Amino acid sequence: MKKIFLRLFSVAFAFLLVNGLYATPAFADSPINAYFFWGEGCPHCAQEEAFLEGLQKEYSNLKIHSFEIYKNRKNALLLQKVGRALSTDVSGVPFLVIGDIAFAGYSPNITAPKIRSQVEECFLNTCSDPVASLLEVTPEEPPLERSKNSDSSEHSINVSIIGLVNLDSLSLPLLSVLLGFLDGFNPCAMWVLLFLISMLIGMENKKRRWILGMAFIVASAFVYFIFMAAWLNLILFLGFLVWVRLAIGGVALAGGGYSLKEFFTNKDAGCKVTGAENRQKIFQGIKTTVTENNFWLALGGIVVLAFMVNLVELICSAGLPAIFTQILALNNLAPWQYYFYIFVYIFFFMLDDLVVFFISMKTLEMTGITTKYTRASRLIGGILMLLIGLLIIFKPEVLMFG
Amino acid sequence: MKVLKFGAVWCAGCLVMKPRWKEIESEMPWLETRYYDFDLDKEPVEKYGIDFTLPVFVFLDKSGEELLRLTGEVSKSKLVEVIEANKDK
Repeated sequence: MKKIFLRLFSVAFAFLLVNGLYATPAFADSPINAYFFWGEGCPHCAQEEAFLEGLQKEYSNLKIHSFEIYKNRKNALLLQKVGRALSTDVSGVPFLVIGDIAFAGYSPNITAPKIRSQVEECFLNTCSDPVASLLEVTPEEPPLERSKNSDSSEHSINVSIIGLVNLDSLSLPLLSVLLGFLDGFNPCAMWVLLFLISMLIGMENKKRRWILGMAFIVASAFVYFIFMAAWLNLILFLGFLVWVRLAIGGVALAGGGYSLKEFFTNKDAGCKVTGAENRQKIFQGIKTTVTENNFWLALGGIVVLAFMVNLVELICSAGLPAIFTQILALNNLAPWQYYFYIFVYIFFFMLDDLVVFFISMKTLEMTGITTKYTRASRLIGGILMLLIGLLIIFKPEVLMFG
Repeated sequence: MKVLKFGAVWCAGCLVMKPRWKEIESEMPWLETRYYDFDLDKEPVEKYGIDFTLPVFVFLDKSGEELLRLTGEVSKSKLVEVIEANKDK
């Protein structure tokens, strides 16, 4: 009996101990004010917003005061005041103040634990609240309520065979395919491949022809992937700065304008002759590499050449990848999803190269895709870039599909 | 009449034009044509001032004077029309 009593006592004690350790302390009744400055369309702000909402469920007296600064000038001025009061440099959003501690930017692994620890600190020991005295503006509803309250059926279409298709989940894959495909018709990327094919066609060894050609295409795709991944990470890193988003919007507008200008002025759909000296150097490099007797040296040479040529040509085709990675950054995806969409983009970007290469290798005749498609892609791409540019600048939330 | 065709292996539009010309040349065996590569045949390229867009098709009369030139991708019907209109010149 004594043993049973002792066991019951131990279990009850352990329960109370565990409960006591993990339960929210009940003594902190005074509200903890968190001042959350954010911008519409800022992906890091949306991430932090979601984190704060979760935190609010754990700490019932955590009160989040939310201030949108892109559209609300009063809030932007308040942010400057807060920065001055806390002697902190405010360079962008998200910007969060709890007590007298400011958190600039947001990273789930670095900032989130610090915010949590500050909330706990203010929970256990009452923190000072220097921002409260500056507060003249009535805080708004928490940001991104729109997405939570909106009815998902409004963003869906009923396709008879498939059923209800959610447009939000469809938009990003579709955009990846469309932009990649349009970017693929960029003549910058095609001319080197055509010259390489002209050299490969004269080669007797069929296996060597295929391997060298495919090595060039795969290496080109890899360079593009590295470039886009680097660009994406830069945008994710600097995403909280408004001017980065505006600059990319500007690139989209300039790129769209250039494409439309080309569509209207280059009506004969011809190939532009530019950079004669550079072209001759590349041709010489290809000739030397392809005619190399040692297969491994030729293969290595082709890969190196693909890297070099595509790095040079990146400037020529930087517009659409920059726009696409900005859209990806706006969508707060899981890391694998970012790279998956980049992969989809690049697959469709390389599709026309693959078609030209396969047909040429099968028929042993040079094949080109009519430049009329290039013209059409300039028209569609130009309009699309102008639209996306305007959205990135004025309505970035439209491009947040998820 | 004679047609000088200027193109390059790296120019997709030039490659698209090749089968069109092949058809015309087989249908009009009397037509004299000559192909010049932009990167290899420097002399005719300079002589005819080919410097901005490819492909370029220069139509010459019997005395070698330039009648007209067409640039970019041109339809087969347009080429036939031009050849028919100038074949006796």
